[in-house]
Amino acid sequence: MAGVIDDYVAALRRDLDFDPPLARRLADEVEAHLWDAAEADPSGPSPEAQQRAVARFGLAREIAAQFAADAIDRQAKRTWMMLAATVAVTFIAMRLRVLWLDDFGASMSALAPLIDRYAFIAALAVGVIGWFVCRRSLAPLAICLGGLAASIAAGIARAGLFADGAPLHVLLAAAGEIALIGLLSWHVFGLHRRLRRTAMLRNAQ
Amino acid sequence: MLKGHLDAIVLAALEAGPAHGYAIIESIKRGSASTFDLPEGTVYPALHRLEEAGLLSSAWMTPPGGRRRRLYSLTKAGSAALADRRKAWSRFSQAVDTLLDEDRPWPA
Repeated sequence: MAGVIDDYVAALRRDLDFDPPLARRLADEVEAHLWDAAEADPSGPSPEAQQRAVARFGLAREIAAQFAADAIDRQAKRTWMMLAATVAVTFIAMRLRVLWLDDFGASMSALAPLIDRYAFIAALAVGVIGWFVCRRSLAPLAICLGGLAASIAAGIARAGLFADGAPLHVLLAAAGEIALIGLLSWHVFGLHRRLRRTAMLRNAQ
Repeated sequence: MLKGHLDAIVLAALEAGPAHGYAIIESIKRGSASTFDLPEGTVYPALHRLEEAGLLSSAWMTPPGGRRRRLYSLTKAGSAALADRRKAWSRFSQAVDTLLDEDRPWPA
């Protein structure tokens, strides 16, 4: 039969499932802590002593919610850094495409250059405002992601990059922006999951 | 109110040397004469936050015949941060003492 401490550690591990390495590490730390506390109890490590040790430790969900809140800050920071890198590489790729297109005069669509330019500018503006106003919010990041994805797609369509045999440096820049937009999507999705998990843990308290 | 100072208290608890979570909590309870009887689990998010910030380092240790525990130590940056927080707290507490002094009520 599982003891009080085992049950508590299992609950904590479940509540920390948003970060499996942290859940494993903390489960081991907390288990050692609770046994130390139970053994220090005047009655010895009895089920009652285990119960008291668990009660003094606090609710598993409260502890997990604090970790989740800290994880949001770290995830938000990483996501903003990824956004900055994506903006920089998209800008460089855009300039390289424009230089190449000027050489060849190969604009395929009237709409694509407008989307390429203004979706990028809109994403940049939302990103700058979001950074100063609501850094932990998902909305500016999601809008920037959409704007940059539209700009990149329009830029590639505009240049007909992969059909017309563009120079290697233009293709590499385009591949770089596609890779970064993929990574940025993954980070934004990760932040969304952590925000949702933290809200769930807080509401369950 | 304690929550805002927990990081500094944890850093101070580790000044004497490396310790694991349970020992840190016991040290805080003893050092504060049980005034700070916070839920013991709240120290772990603080420890991880301080480690992420580079103010603490940690490693698993298993004493002979004992239980495996994670020991936390102050880094150089942690010692410097503790010194800064001590200075800030000293200024803050002196200002509050002055304002709350019964012999010299504020505002004058």
